Amino acid sequence: MSTHRPQGHAMAKGASPRSIFCEMLGRMGGPSNGTSGPMQWVDADHNFFCGSIVGSGSCYANGFALSLKRQKKGHICACFFGDGASSTGASHEGMNLASVWKLPLLFVCENNQYGQATPMKNYCNVDRLSQRAAGYGIPGVSVDGMDVMAVAEVAAEAIERIRNGNGPCLIEAVTYRFKGHYIGDPLNYRTKEEVERWQKKDPLIQCRKNLVENWGYTDAQLKAVEEEIAQQIARDEAWALEQPKPTLEYAISNVMVPVAGRKA
Amino acid sequence: MEKREITFKEAIREALQEEMKRDESVIIMGIDVGVWGNLYGFTRGFVDTFGRDRVMDTPISEAAIAGCGCGAAASGLRPVIEIMYIDFISIAMDQIINHGAKWHQLSGGKVKVPMVLITNGGVGLRNSSQHSQSFENWFVNVPGLVTVMPSSPYDAKGLLKASIRDDNPVIFIYPKGVLNDKMAVPVEDYLIPLGVADVKRAGSDVSIVATGWMVDHALSAAQELNREGIECEVIDPRTLYPLDEESIARSVHKTGRCMVVTEAPAAGGWSGEVASVVMEHCFVSLKKPVLRLAGIRTGIPYDKDLERQVVPGVKDIIKGVKSLLG
Repeated sequence: MSTHRPQGHAMAKGASPRSIFCEMLGRMGGPSNGTSGPMQWVDADHNFFCGSIVGSGSCYANGFALSLKRQKKGHICACFFGDGASSTGASHEGMNLASVWKLPLLFVCENNQYGQATPMKNYCNVDRLSQRAAGYGIPGVSVDGMDVMAVAEVAAEAIERIRNGNGPCLIEAVTYRFKGHYIGDPLNYRTKEEVERWQKKDPLIQCRKNLVENWGYTDAQLKAVEEEIAQQIARDEAWALEQPKPTLEYAISNVMVPVAGRKA
Repeated sequence: MEKREITFKEAIREALQEEMKRDESVIIMGIDVGVWGNLYGFTRGFVDTFGRDRVMDTPISEAAIAGCGCGAAASGLRPVIEIMYIDFISIAMDQIINHGAKWHQLSGGKVKVPMVLITNGGVGLRNSSQHSQSFENWFVNVPGLVTVMPSSPYDAKGLLKASIRDDNPVIFIYPKGVLNDKMAVPVEDYLIPLGVADVKRAGSDVSIVATGWMVDHALSAAQELNREGIECEVIDPRTLYPLDEESIARSVHKTGRCMVVTEAPAAGGWSGEVASVVMEHCFVSLKKPVLRLAGIRTGIPYDKDLERQVVPGVKDIIKGVKSLLG
């Protein structure tokens, strides 16, 4: 279960850049064939749901996790939400239910420290959102969300714990939102200095540095990979821009499964 | 077909029991569905028969219950989730309308959400203004949802079974007023198709379209009017969306006069929807405008007599029929 900013999660779950471009651009070939756009597509082929009502996923994630638990294959459901979303009723109801039913659910709070334009201290009375896990009797851990290796380590531990039937966990990954909440956001609620300070911690920059310093990669090697990826993404984008938009007929179809032969 | 007399409550219970026996993917979730067997005994004994894995007591968390139902339905189960009173459904609305109702379309038809949300509405048990409302119009207004309202034990059992077997999210609203109604109901497995109305009483003078408890009142009114030589046709849509427009139109073309009776108030209500449909299909046949007999636009009061007075009664229907014939 992903958020209103699902692109990264979608790729991690296996969606191709082409399908994501298509959806973002409102074209056929996206998981919702362009009828969703950026924020609420359903990628059935990759068991991937997202939504633009922040916090809601924490409730419906329980249903998917319940099915997975009953299937007994050790699969889990991961539910992502932001720090702002953690204030919603749905966020609390969802974590509570999962904790009581011991569902295989990993809650991941991507704390970029602003709920839209409101800084965390103005909507949350605890220092770390992971503290809330104690209220549900589940493990909660905070991690530097800008450190790829640290996040991977914490996630692996939590996932193992969940797969072993111990119930849900909460991970709070502390990060930062470089751009505004939306394109055109006046950004009058934070300083340029703060943004620049966090930009230095960009996980891509840190990761790159780590690969060179600790894993023996050369700058030239990494540049070659980055160039190849950039070209592939450019090709994917160009391809997506050539795809047709959905017709009105398509856009209004599939509202319901036919009921006794009656129109939807 | 072998029949025996059972109450509305027992009919609901039988429907749930039969569907749970028939299909292992059918599970029930809600507040006190296991330990209490539901407020009205719908699931009494079910934990012993089906186990706690399929009859699941939830915390008091309507959003989580509804959300869990939507997610479970979208991933292979056929959950029946209970929202104890329709008045609480507002807490669950986001999960139902923004998510569960939309996934089939957003997935290009790949994901199905075969969830039944069972809830009660209307007056009759002195539950007052926060436990006695009628919100069926909210759901009729949401693309993706089926909305069903049974009026009798026979309808309740067949419609609930059909709702559970349907692949859409179905909002199943049972009225409080008919919980103890008794009727002959088949022992054998039977379904009532969704989207099909039922002419409960044939007549040539007036078409009365009634829902839920109002069907009982309409039939009582029809019986009294019959003694005066007035023949009322009583139609129970059973499914509010998708509506069986053809059956209603057929009736109004025959009678030329139509009344819609609901507990819910008129303004913005489903009764206006029916009036529009009748106007569209039967304008040439109508001898009078469609009459909406609806609940008074007020909070439902606590007193036993007052709560009945704010929704249409038999006398109101008789008066309404005579005004259509006058």
